[in-house]
Amino acid sequence: MTDVKILLVEDDKQTSNYIAKGLREHGHVVDQADNGRDGLYLATGEKYDVMVVDRMLPSMDGLSLVKAARTSNVRTPVLFLTTMGGIDDRVAGFDAGGDDYLVKPFAFAELLARVGALARRPPIVATTSLSVGDLEMDLLARTVTRAGKRIELLAQEFKILEYLLRHAGEVVTRTMLLEKVWDFHFDPKTNIVETHISRLRSKIEKGFGRPLLHTVRGAGYVIRSPE
Amino acid sequence: MSSVRPNSTLGRILRSASFRLTLFYAALFIASAGALFATVYVTATAAMQNDMAAVLRSEAFQLAEVHSRIGLSGLAQQIARRMNFRSRGPIFYLLQAPNGRVVVGNLPGMPPVNGVVDFVPKPDTPAPDADAENTKLTGFGLTLPDGSFLLVAQDAARLTDMQHAIVRAFAWAGGLTLLLAIAGGAVLANSFLRRIDAITRTNRAIMEGDLSARIPVRGTQDEIDQLIASLNAMLGRIQQLMDGLRQVSSDIAHDLRTPLGRLRQHLEDARERAKTTADYDAATEAAIEEADELLETFSALLRIAQVEAGAQKSAFAELDLSALARSIGEAYQPAAEDSDHALDIKIEESVSFTGDRQLLAQMISNLVENALRHTPAGSTVSLALNRRAAGFTIEVSDNGPGIPEAERGKVFDRFYRLDRSRSTAGSGLGLALVKAIAGLHGLTIELVDRRPGLGVVVTGTLAR
Repeated sequence: MTDVKILLVEDDKQTSNYIAKGLREHGHVVDQADNGRDGLYLATGEKYDVMVVDRMLPSMDGLSLVKAARTSNVRTPVLFLTTMGGIDDRVAGFDAGGDDYLVKPFAFAELLARVGALARRPPIVATTSLSVGDLEMDLLARTVTRAGKRIELLAQEFKILEYLLRHAGEVVTRTMLLEKVWDFHFDPKTNIVETHISRLRSKIEKGFGRPLLHTVRGAGYVIRSPE
Repeated sequence: MSSVRPNSTLGRILRSASFRLTLFYAALFIASAGALFATVYVTATAAMQNDMAAVLRSEAFQLAEVHSRIGLSGLAQQIARRMNFRSRGPIFYLLQAPNGRVVVGNLPGMPPVNGVVDFVPKPDTPAPDADAENTKLTGFGLTLPDGSFLLVAQDAARLTDMQHAIVRAFAWAGGLTLLLAIAGGAVLANSFLRRIDAITRTNRAIMEGDLSARIPVRGTQDEIDQLIASLNAMLGRIQQLMDGLRQVSSDIAHDLRTPLGRLRQHLEDARERAKTTADYDAATEAAIEEADELLETFSALLRIAQVEAGAQKSAFAELDLSALARSIGEAYQPAAEDSDHALDIKIEESVSFTGDRQLLAQMISNLVENALRHTPAGSTVSLALNRRAAGFTIEVSDNGPGIPEAERGKVFDRFYRLDRSRSTAGSGLGLALVKAIAGLHGLTIELVDRRPGLGVVVTGTLAR
């Protein structure tokens, strides 16, 4: 996952440098802007794969920046950074043309996973099946097989696996699964995701040899073919 | 405050708004009374003068008629008779021959004038009455056809007496009014000032820190009483909010000290004792966990505050509560099994409700989590959604140890944790958030004894 060109618009220098440093260490190219106007100038002038935009910015707030960029036909995926507690912030962010959001303060792994997911967003093509290695998912019949053998999954397990398969090879965080599978935009105290993953894992791996579903410590999960 | 004038009660009354208002009205009254006086005085005087002139004229013309009938000597006799017979107040007569000689009369001779004349008879002339000396007379003169002059006059004292009476009446009435106005104004101002003073005193007491001080009400239900009642109500609300704020800040200070202390411990551990990379990793991992817990607490507090402020209604939409509750139940199923709990899900289909999906999801999740966390292994937790005649109920119940009766009212307070729960993880904010979310959605929430165990019942009215 290299060569993703990212525009980072964040006014707090320390946060901005921390994020930029981390992203560069993972092989990404980062341009930084510390206010909305400069951010918009860069967003409309350069070609980026992902924009990471803070909601609160001097001279022009994040929402206006993204709205303006969208009217100038900039289609770059946007990840909003919002302050904690705001629930309506999320809705307002999507309305303005944002694609994802992350509540500050966040774990860096979370940001990295989300930037990766946005940069590599698969083209919206109607696929009827997904697969990794010998694991296959039929989206129409809603069936899963591994090495030709039928695996029975519960509805929520199916949704988790579908999301992992759509992002095969990428890290998917616990929070991303909570949002995409359950539409939970809060952090439950109970290890909902872990328990579901462990059941899913035993269903798709027990008796099949090579593992597919891996836990990335401190970040999340990734599904990839054993080869 | 003027330094010249001492801050005496009198001084305050004189300077008070109500006293000044009273004075203003008194002045206004006196001005209008003055205008009334002038009108009455002028009209009454004119009317009386006209009346007197008419009497004199008619007397003069009667006598002139006598003269034309029976001549000068006959008239003289007639006048002499009339001088002795007074039926209409003192009337003075003068009849002069054409050569100026006084024929008859009780007035001194004078050059002839026609019409109404005001004059003072010379002091040496004989007057009809002793007290009539020097009095002003009003007369009516008439030159008769043969050249003789006739004057009929009347004492003007009636007029001046009336004028004096009017002046006296108005002076008394005006003076009395002014006196009453000043006294009344002073009494009014004093009572007003006392009530204002009560407000000021309470105000000072509150500023000095006694938030429970209230302004005394007189019970007359007048507008000042109403003002005081609404001020007191405002003070009550402010005190309530302040108490809440104080409670929250002391709760925050108290409840955040522990995780902050642990965070510090982990960092200190890393500095003092860590020898290997693994030691460092473990210490930082633990520190991050503590920091996350702190952030989570802050986030929950902010969320409660936002929900309580009612700022979240923008995300309200019609939603399938049955599907939401089922998906939450299923989400917790594996976790419940892992902690050796049975999670029993009983959902009635197609119950819809208008609300914030995220918040309702969090509310139900918190209730389920709470039940799972505070019941021992082997317990059964059930999540039920039931349709009711006018709405629905969501019940999360368990067969665990329950909550002592005395503590039930407090479990929805921020940071409240049962003593036996102190050791388990959790911020003590879960149920406070549940209560806030229920409040935002107009749902009622109650704790029900399920013997054994406890149920939390959320009741809502269906949107129609």
